[in-house]
Amino acid sequence: MMDGLLGDDVVMAELDSDANTDGRGVNRLGYRGWSGRLESGWARWTVISSVGIRRAWQSRWLRRMLFFAWLPAVVFGIGFFVWEQAALYPDWQRPGMNFLGGLLPPHVANEIGESIRKGDLQSSRHTVWASLLQSLFRYPQGVLMVMVIGLIAPPMISQDFRSRAFLLYFSRPLTRGEYLLGKLASVWAYLSLISTLPALALYVLGVLLSPNLSVVSATWDLPLRVMAASVILMLPTSMLALCFSSLTQESRYAGFAWFAIWIMGWFTFGAATTAEAFNAQMTNGRMGRELVLEQSPWTHVSLYHTLGRVQSWVFGLTDFREVWISAAILIAVTVISLAILLRRISAPMRV
Amino acid sequence: MAALIDIVEITKDYGRFRALDCVSLQVESGITGLLGPNGAGKTTLIKVLLGLVKTSSGRGRLLNYELGSQYREIRANVGYMPEDDCFLHGMTGVECVQFVAQLSRIPEIEALRRSHEILDFCGLAQERYRTVETYSTGMRQKLRFAQAIVHDPPVLILDEPTSGLDPEERVIMLNRIRVLARDHGKAVLICTHILPDVQSISDSVVILARGRVQVAERLSELSRPAEPALEVRLLGSPERFTDVIRGSGVPIESRSDGTLVLRGAPEELATQAWQVAEQVGVGVRSLTASRNSLEEIFLNAVREGGKP
Repeated sequence: MMDGLLGDDVVMAELDSDANTDGRGVNRLGYRGWSGRLESGWARWTVISSVGIRRAWQSRWLRRMLFFAWLPAVVFGIGFFVWEQAALYPDWQRPGMNFLGGLLPPHVANEIGESIRKGDLQSSRHTVWASLLQSLFRYPQGVLMVMVIGLIAPPMISQDFRSRAFLLYFSRPLTRGEYLLGKLASVWAYLSLISTLPALALYVLGVLLSPNLSVVSATWDLPLRVMAASVILMLPTSMLALCFSSLTQESRYAGFAWFAIWIMGWFTFGAATTAEAFNAQMTNGRMGRELVLEQSPWTHVSLYHTLGRVQSWVFGLTDFREVWISAAILIAVTVISLAILLRRISAPMRV
Repeated sequence: MAALIDIVEITKDYGRFRALDCVSLQVESGITGLLGPNGAGKTTLIKVLLGLVKTSSGRGRLLNYELGSQYREIRANVGYMPEDDCFLHGMTGVECVQFVAQLSRIPEIEALRRSHEILDFCGLAQERYRTVETYSTGMRQKLRFAQAIVHDPPVLILDEPTSGLDPEERVIMLNRIRVLARDHGKAVLICTHILPDVQSISDSVVILARGRVQVAERLSELSRPAEPALEVRLLGSPERFTDVIRGSGVPIESRSDGTLVLRGAPEELATQAWQVAEQVGVGVRSLTASRNSLEEIFLNAVREGGKP
């Protein structure tokens, strides 16, 4: 009878043979209870983020990209070096300004020229350092951020939906918030590798190259501004990327939507501002494209330029009154993405 | 004994569709089979227990934790094996088990050690170092089982634990479940369509149909027939045996599969059957006390559930 077949001795014999035949079973302990000490619950999201980081690291493209992500920092490091040399040695001022002119916006270059004329180049140190850091964030690292997020974020939630891994997560004592935080932290880790860390390294380099440590008291706020700029870079972008990822089971669609929003925004902005500059030149013959770029309301259609405007405020290069709409757009993107994310994450459980 | 699962008049609506309709249920320790046709509400009931969906009305407790509000405590104490594949892309088997162990707050190194131990118990050998995408259906089934038990939960909810397994692996899987329930005191709720599995290992059975509990009873009680009887299978021609038994005043009937059913107390009839078989020169293949089959119970319950 079936009961006989499933008798106690047979059960153990079958389980043992299961473990012993063909050399299976390293421990051969059978089932044992577990009564060890549990870890603190608040760190559960770190498990998700560490797995997310490890899985993303498997991409060869990402590793290459991270390597190249530090090359712009080297160029800006030379910028710091040149400026500090120019501040110490007048011979360096002319070639130094030629080099820095390519890295800094025109109004900052003008300010340096003014300082040179006054013979007090040291007074513009804060502005120059802030501009160099902001340029690093806005130009090379901004583009790299789009590429790195486009590589790692699209599969993060869509693949969990596709492989039904959400049951794996949510049958454990895990909240939607912890799940989301874990995913976001994976993205943030890579973003800080390409933005926050190079910027902080540049600041330290600037301090080391300066004539004495008194520059720290003059520039102490810059590391904090770097952190704030990093948060502004990471929060809306990672939320938006994960939002796209949560809307589909196909990560390629999420990736397509991610790149499309940046590229379309960029081209729309480019086309509109070119037309605007042309029109302005035709009417008064004075307004150059640089001014149009800074003041154009078309920056709001481009997420890239919107981010850049808010970051320039963070580094103290623009007044808040000029960027509040951009800041509001970034907040709206973050909040709407978060709302969609939280809803989408629990969606599979509702059916 | 206090019930491990105690739910009272739980209703769950998905829009206009009522998935659970005033379900009240008490489940005690041991192995309980949760049966029902497709769409009966089994998966919804499991989701309600785990706090994955909110109930429309009703209340309940699992291990003395309030359903809904104390879902974290419940999930920490429940091992859930879903029916569907669910895994993380690009991870090996052992990494998958370690990952869920860590989600249940087991420290990283200990989670790895424990994962290896559990994978040994589940019969996943060197395959544990392969990525899960390369696993066969049976291996994935074992992996899901390992993920459900790695944190040593007192309650296991297993959704179709034997589907996709070959007959040998199926028996071994059922044995593992029995070992956990018998030797380690786990309360197990098995949700399956394979009735012989439930019949072979369950202590109790719950049958759902159309979102309502049709049957919730110990299997031994359910299996007891309305009238005691003994089922006899013979080696050789049954005619003379039947005549002699009938001649002694015992009601006897023959089934289409050749089984003879003798009405009366099985203990007394067994002795008589042996004597008569020896007397008429036929061999006895089997003598078993008559029991209601689970199939019969299930079909009756589903039919009852289908009535308005």
